[in-house]
Amino acid sequence: MRVTQSMLSSNMLRNLNTSYSKMSKYQNMLDSGSKISRPSDDPVVAVKGMGYRIDLDKNQQYQRNIRDANTWLDTTDESLDQVGAALKRVKELIIQAATDTTTTDDRQKINAEMQQIKEQLRDIANTKVGENYIFSGTHTNLPLYTDSTGPQNPAITPAGGQKSIDINIFDGISMNVNTPGADLFKDIDGFMTNINTLLQSGAPAAEIGDTLGLQTTSGGTTIPGLDGIYENTLTVRADVGARQNRVELMENRLGIQEVNVTKQLSLNEDTDYAKTITDMVTQDSIHQAALSVGAKIIQQTLVDFIR
Amino acid sequence: MRSTFMGLETNKRGLFTQQTALYTTGHNISNANTLGYSRQRVNMQATPGFPTAGLNQPTYPGHLGTGVEAGSIQRIRDQFIDRQYRQETNKLGYWDSAAKSIAQMEDIMAEPSEFGINQSFTDFWKAMEDVIDNPKDSAARQVLISKGKSIADSFNYMDRQLKQIQGNIGNEISVSTDKVNSILKQIAAINKQIQEVEPSGYVPNDLYDARDSLVDELNEYIPVSISLQKTGGLAKDVAEGSMTITYVPGDGSTPIKLVDGKEYAALATMDTNNQRVDGEVDEQATGGFYNFSEIKISAIGEPPGDPATGPYTIDYSQMDQGKGSLRALIDAYGHSGGQGTYPEMLANLDKLANEFITKFNDVHKAGFGLDNSTGLDFFSGTTARDFKVVITDPKQVAVSDTTGEEGNNQNMRKLAELQTQAQANLKQGTFQSYYKSLVGDLAVKGQEAERSAFNSATLHLQISSNRDSVSSVSLDEEMTNMITFQQAYNANARMITVVDETLDKIINGMGRVGL
Repeated sequence: MRVTQSMLSSNMLRNLNTSYSKMSKYQNMLDSGSKISRPSDDPVVAVKGMGYRIDLDKNQQYQRNIRDANTWLDTTDESLDQVGAALKRVKELIIQAATDTTTTDDRQKINAEMQQIKEQLRDIANTKVGENYIFSGTHTNLPLYTDSTGPQNPAITPAGGQKSIDINIFDGISMNVNTPGADLFKDIDGFMTNINTLLQSGAPAAEIGDTLGLQTTSGGTTIPGLDGIYENTLTVRADVGARQNRVELMENRLGIQEVNVTKQLSLNEDTDYAKTITDMVTQDSIHQAALSVGAKIIQQTLVDFIR
Repeated sequence: MRSTFMGLETNKRGLFTQQTALYTTGHNISNANTLGYSRQRVNMQATPGFPTAGLNQPTYPGHLGTGVEAGSIQRIRDQFIDRQYRQETNKLGYWDSAAKSIAQMEDIMAEPSEFGINQSFTDFWKAMEDVIDNPKDSAARQVLISKGKSIADSFNYMDRQLKQIQGNIGNEISVSTDKVNSILKQIAAINKQIQEVEPSGYVPNDLYDARDSLVDELNEYIPVSISLQKTGGLAKDVAEGSMTITYVPGDGSTPIKLVDGKEYAALATMDTNNQRVDGEVDEQATGGFYNFSEIKISAIGEPPGDPATGPYTIDYSQMDQGKGSLRALIDAYGHSGGQGTYPEMLANLDKLANEFITKFNDVHKAGFGLDNSTGLDFFSGTTARDFKVVITDPKQVAVSDTTGEEGNNQNMRKLAELQTQAQANLKQGTFQSYYKSLVGDLAVKGQEAERSAFNSATLHLQISSNRDSVSSVSLDEEMTNMITFQQAYNANARMITVVDETLDKIINGMGRVGL
């Protein structure tokens, strides 16, 4: 085949061009840290990358949701703990009051403390997380009790007051974070009112003692005894504890998933620096060789030797 | 009997012929870097010997040579390689242009990234989850509205940008068509010059080269077939004649003449509204364009008539697939009722936007806002272009499924679930996976175009190299020839001196015996 100067130079030009475009690609990979700069560089990587990004963002959001769920559940647990402590004190006081040797004066002092405990329990019923009343069902802007003596807030509808608030903790998995407390606190408050009345009216010790276990009926509603109420509180608290466990498990899972997805995302599209730098250096030496060979071949023709 | 001065005449012809060859060598060297130049060669031939045949020819003991003459000057070129070269030029033109228009679309879609439509969907969903966590927090609701706006903005932006590029492509179609028309006109003009020169026995090699370069260029835009018509008169055998260019429709219908001699046709690319495709917005309301419908071609003439009135037409189905940049531009711009890279992507985005707006609004309407408002749309619009958020008051975001419950987030949970629900109208994918598939399809197309363009360029270079092997100037070869012709010239001159000396002997030395 006849080979001419222009063939050599156009060949060399094309090869240099290819070499430059390869180097520019490597440079891009090194600068951006990403294997691809546009979807057509590798459609599979691009589409997978979009998927991983969604997964990762979702994961982060679910972890954020779980932080909110934790705040709710921890606060609820803490509040119920306080309720338990208060009820324990009530029990002590009742036992003290139910002793025949306790004088009427003493009972009045006990009653005063009972009053304080009652108000404290009402305060607990109005516990807030951020701006939300946690025991008011979905009426999170309404406190269960609006004052220290009156009945429960009439603005809270029976349906809304019992409704759960659900937060998504994973795709298709949700968890109710609140604990509707209307019934529980109604019982507690009713019981406290009952005790107050008994103590004020100077009821005999035996009758006071009975409130520990017996149900009482006051104004048409049945109020369980203190032990029953304490049981109920524990049951509710156990439920909260179980939910805390669930959240914790999911939190661990999400933590692991985040690591996995981040790793996948990185494997999928991050530049392999060792490989790319090696490729780049190799390409660079090929380029150098092409340039110097080109320069040698192209300048020499017969013209240089005819004198 | 031969003439006394025959030797002088023979070598004079030798001098002239070698000089012609030497000058041609000079011409070749001068044009070593001229695009489309083919090296030229002097076809030397021996002049008729002495004596010539005739009734009263002298008796002679042989046929005495009378020297050399330059029979013709011919360019060295291989028509078959030209043909291959142009076929590959068609493909390269197509794929180069296709890759470019897809790359532009990819630049706008900007995926995978932290700011594309994909991300704005995710951000919107995250804002919904935040509202689920804090249903009555007006800050979270406000963020949701803002993220909704950013989805709408992403769609609006993409619609506008894609249409802008579609317009640019329309403009490129118009410019390409003008370019084709200009090339056809130039080829006809060269034909005219060739037709004037050839009958006088000249071989205008440099005009052939110029014409071939134009045909190469023409093939970047549209595939054409060529044939050569010999000129009459005293035209030499190596003269190529006038070039006829025809467009052969892909469906086998009658070929259409684009250039015949000095007459040429003009092309116009028309849209469905029977206007020229020009890249100007056709539908002001949507910012959209009418699709390409057909190429109209005038009858040949000098000058030709208005192509917009025909009489010939080539519609999309009659164009060769994958050949020429004009076809690639039309494939991107849109044809045959909304097909094409850009219109299809725009239609798919519209579909996605409409589906999202409808589905989101349906659920949103069923819920209740903090102010107990209900039945309100969150988004408005039916396309990517008029996609807007209509809710302005954070209180009106329908988070609750019951009136009067501030902490109720059930309706927002249903809205958030939409994100992972398969949509029957979107190929059973979610909103995001549908968008992902759009990007995936585009990426695969882009990769194919990119690869095909690279492969065509490689083949093109190979063929170009073959063509150079035949036609391009080799300086080494020309230098060798230069020495050859120079020495031949010198030798001829020396012969003349020898003849001169013999004549000197006869004229001045004879009959002077003893002097």
